[in-house]
Amino acid sequence: MGKVKLIDIASARSGDKNNICNIGVMAKTPADYETIKKHLTADVVKNHFGELIKGKVDRYEWDSIESLNFICHEALDGGGSRSLRMDTLGKNFSSHLLRLELDIN
Amino acid sequence: MKKIKIASGQGFYGDSNRSAVQVAKNKAADYIVFDALAELTLSILQKDKMRDETLGYARDIEANVRKLYPIALQNGIKLVTNSGGLNPKSAAKKLSAALAKQGLDGVKIATVEGDNYINRLDELQSNGEELKHLDTNQPFATNENEVTHANLYIGAQGVVDALKQGADIVLAGRVADPCLTLGILAYEFGWDLNDESQENLNKLAQGITVGHLLECGGQASGGNSYAEWPMEYQLSNLGYPIAEVDENGVALFSKLEQDGGKLTRNTLREQLVYEIHNPNEYLTPDVTVDFTQTTIEEIAPNQVKVEGSIGKRKPQKLKLTMGLNEGFISEQFFFMSWPYTYTKAKKFVKAVEEIWSKLPLEMDEWRYTFTGINGIHETAAPLQSEEELNELNEIGVRLAIRHKDPKVGKIALGSVIPLGLNGPPGLISIPGWGKINRQILGLWPTLIDRKWFKEEVNIYEVKATEKAH
Repeated sequence: MGKVKLIDIASARSGDKNNICNIGVMAKTPADYETIKKHLTADVVKNHFGELIKGKVDRYEWDSIESLNFICHEALDGGGSRSLRMDTLGKNFSSHLLRLELDIN
Repeated sequence: MKKIKIASGQGFYGDSNRSAVQVAKNKAADYIVFDALAELTLSILQKDKMRDETLGYARDIEANVRKLYPIALQNGIKLVTNSGGLNPKSAAKKLSAALAKQGLDGVKIATVEGDNYINRLDELQSNGEELKHLDTNQPFATNENEVTHANLYIGAQGVVDALKQGADIVLAGRVADPCLTLGILAYEFGWDLNDESQENLNKLAQGITVGHLLECGGQASGGNSYAEWPMEYQLSNLGYPIAEVDENGVALFSKLEQDGGKLTRNTLREQLVYEIHNPNEYLTPDVTVDFTQTTIEEIAPNQVKVEGSIGKRKPQKLKLTMGLNEGFISEQFFFMSWPYTYTKAKKFVKAVEEIWSKLPLEMDEWRYTFTGINGIHETAAPLQSEEELNELNEIGVRLAIRHKDPKVGKIALGSVIPLGLNGPPGLISIPGWGKINRQILGLWPTLIDRKWFKEEVNIYEVKATEKAH
């Protein structure tokens, strides 16, 4: 056991609603779903993004499609056209989350 | 059991109509549904309308009227879209004239309106609606910026009424994306949008689920996909999803076999989660949807069944989104190559900071990022050592400024151009590697009581006499 890379056990897609970014994380198998359900907490996600997410992160479990949905508040630098970032709509929040290594001890 | 086939024609204003043309040619659906209105699109359309009062609709219908609509209409396929934007009536008149020229007499175009509140904000406020910001709870009275658009997300009833009146093309304003599809299904199967029995609510919920899976075009059939990475299928001719729906709302998703892309449980899972917040409670004007019981099952290659969504009562309040004119963003990219790549980039930025600190410029905020290193993820990107970064083949520097005075961006970015000769060696940039004065359209989402809303449906019939135009 030890560490597992999220990209090996899940895929992700992110999108925007004004200044909120949601990241859906889809486990590859039912066993992977148990792993992310246990270890991929809202705190882990918030820490991984650091200053990019100014507000709280909510997590929803979505058993019927073995997925977790993260709602990241105040995450898009003001949102949409107000943002000074290149990724104004947070399309790559998914990419960055997949880089995460989960500690599964 | 009666079944209806609905194809996704478009996922955003400016999307390709290639897949829709193939669906029309192959008579592969009864309806094609087009979502043209992302959150910011209405502000773009408002700018068009201020320039020319006959504009204000999504202009891809001008291309579709030549290449897509005639084939679809001749094959008995109906078209439902919110491309009407801020000016459905003008769009309908232009469309009608263009179809008349092509001899498509008798085609009925319906407009669906009642969503535009730009001239009713005072009325709402004087009647007790504070228009509080949905996320920050601030009352709208505190806003100091010019309002560029104000549109209500409206439900499916207008689409139902338009189809009942015989519309072949429905040109709606800000009908909520999935409600375009729900409207088609409610009309075809006689679902009552106001019947709150659990059995009916579940049908409406399935209608929204299908609409949500169709509203982003190729994103549900293998586009933008980590789930199907490495995407071993053709992307240039991606086939958009087609849903065959029965009278209980159970849907079988497919795509044209000869088209590219892929339709799997994975591609529908990744579209189902897209831009959803609480999956137990997805609010739409017609029904609140619980997606947590929704099942997605692959029954054959490119054949995926979706069912099980649960409906709850619709909310009493509807979402109104206003666009605000909040100033400008100006940006420019600069590049440099090996050797000393990163150190040179930092030296350039230091010179920029010094130049700007001496100019009397009012910037709300400015920022630099290193393209290729932290351009997308900024502070969250892991950083290598300076020694390693200095070995990179090339690095870009992006300067981005948020400002209110339209002169600021031009002066600021102009002031650093001399660093081409005075700065670190090999610095390159040309005008056009960036943009001066991109307008910021801030959004102010709020909720208002649905009692203020009344839809308006009008029919325009294409007549041969218009051929003379």
